Amino acid sequence: MRYLKLENSRVNDFLEQLSAYGELYAPVQISEEFYDYRRIDDVDDVAFDYTRTVTPAKKYFIPTEQQMFTYDMESSEYEETLDDIRPFVLFGLHACSIVGLRILDGVYLNEYPDKYYGMRRDAGIIVGLSCLPDEYCFCNLRRTDFVDVGFDLFLHELPDGYLIRVGSEKGHKIVDENPGLFVEVTDEDIKHFKQFERKRHELFQYQGSFDNLRYMLELTKDHPLWDEESKKCLGCGNCTMTCPTCRCYDVQDIPDIDGRHGSRIRFWDSCQFRGHGLVAGGHNFRETKKDRFINRYVCKNAYFHPLGTSYCVGCGNCTYFCPADIDFLDNLMKIRGIAEEIYEQ
Amino acid sequence: MSNETTPDKNIYDLYKCRILRVYEMTDEDKLFLLRFEDSDIAEEWTFTPGQFVQVSIPGVGEIPISVCSSPMRRGFFELCIKRAGKVTEVIHRMEPGDYMGIRGPYGNGFPMDRFENHDLLLIAAGIGMVPLRSVFLHAMDNRWKFGNITVINSARYGHKLLFRKELEAMRDIAEAENINILQTVTRDPEWPGRTGRAQHHVEDANTDPDDAYVVVCGPPQAYRSVFEKVIEAGYDPRNIYVTLERRMKCGVGKCGHCIAGSSTFLEYICIDGPVFGYYDIISTPNLI
Repeated sequence: MRYLKLENSRVNDFLEQLSAYGELYAPVQISEEFYDYRRIDDVDDVAFDYTRTVTPAKKYFIPTEQQMFTYDMESSEYEETLDDIRPFVLFGLHACSIVGLRILDGVYLNEYPDKYYGMRRDAGIIVGLSCLPDEYCFCNLRRTDFVDVGFDLFLHELPDGYLIRVGSEKGHKIVDENPGLFVEVTDEDIKHFKQFERKRHELFQYQGSFDNLRYMLELTKDHPLWDEESKKCLGCGNCTMTCPTCRCYDVQDIPDIDGRHGSRIRFWDSCQFRGHGLVAGGHNFRETKKDRFINRYVCKNAYFHPLGTSYCVGCGNCTYFCPADIDFLDNLMKIRGIAEEIYEQ
Repeated sequence: MSNETTPDKNIYDLYKCRILRVYEMTDEDKLFLLRFEDSDIAEEWTFTPGQFVQVSIPGVGEIPISVCSSPMRRGFFELCIKRAGKVTEVIHRMEPGDYMGIRGPYGNGFPMDRFENHDLLLIAAGIGMVPLRSVFLHAMDNRWKFGNITVINSARYGHKLLFRKELEAMRDIAEAENINILQTVTRDPEWPGRTGRAQHHVEDANTDPDDAYVVVCGPPQAYRSVFEKVIEAGYDPRNIYVTLERRMKCGVGKCGHCIAGSSTFLEYICIDGPVFGYYDIISTPNLI
């Protein structure tokens, strides 16, 4: 891999240069507590010390609402809607977000590749950024705390700048075209990089891996936790909307005012909504709130073959943004037996 | 991953199909004979029994429907559609000359190659006869490739038996071709023929339990008792297949509505199914 260093004094120049490759989006602070991705007009707005964003990066590849076709009811013709997607740069993604996008790749670019997604993926440049975990993070248990691929450039924090990993041809091109921005990596930088990684590793609440969790989950179907926790759930779907890998969508035909034409749109859906498993005739494959609650735990912990990880990347968003204070990680730990004593008391 | 991934083809594009005929099957089921408008598509398009298509009506929506005709019949195909929801309500008002948008076929379908040179026991309950008709007609069109065949078609009432007349009309050829057609009803006092659930007629099948594949389709709650009877009769559990139904918006493993199973075996019914083997079913909670 190719490594370079970006000194602190050149960070703003680097961001300015990035915006030459496409519209720049990055996390900014939007309120006292919250951060979210925004289009960057002033590079001073870019937040480097954020932990999580209100909406995940998936929204740049799967818009919350997407017109797929326009239709004409009289002729029964459909015309594909292809937005003019211009190049864009997504700056500041943490490792979990990048793995999240790779999971979406595995789904949206499977043997039936999705054009709407693919176009946005091709247009996007991904610049990763190292992070330190808070009490909600468990990407280490998911083995998604460090990424090997899926970014064009990745910035690792150093005391006086950033160590950059170049992860793609697009990344090489950016580096080659801006030689004045970067310096060589020194032995001191490598030492600092290692120190940062060690410190980061020690900050995680739990150590180990969750690889055996999916079996324990399957064997723990009758745990009282499912009743108690699902009772708390409001069914709002916040957990799925803020999840970097939840990707369910619904499709609806919305008529125009003339009653003849209209558009077929898809928009984010959630397995926490009652209609998600409902089929014609009234049978619902996930009838109760408990069914839907368990479904998310099952889906997130299932094995995703193309990546060899689970569908969950351990970002902690679902817990952080849950209005009912349902703690996903804590529940998983109970299932795994780590916090079992709570139930045994 | 992020370099040049955009495909040219839009997988959600619809083929325009014209309705050629509409047959009333029961008071709530209609059979639609369809032809592709584009002659190249008509020429190329084929499917495997057990696969489904996404049927689209502009302004109304899109739904998954199993193909129920024989894949040997090119250029045409048939869909048997129950009036059960918003889209099927509109489809039931359609007439010859009207158009449907079709994409697919999707799903794994039945392993027809594996069935070849073996007996075939088809067990259908209610609308379950729809995908099984495709298996049956395929086997009829390739009669020399299969052993004895039994079709058990069941419904609550005689007038609800799907393809009842078609199956009755095949009686003569069935006899000549070692095919056993058993039609049974569960709640109809007027029905002159067999009564009771489909699985209670398994012992009258002409198929050899040691050398038969069993295909079951019906409401999910029926599966376990059918399995029990079939295995009791000596059929090998490894040779039992079922096909499942779910809500689907995409048909191509994305929209997530059909995800089922458990954390060790999470499947998109649309691409990993809808056909599953007996052992997948019994080792995976929530599939049925």
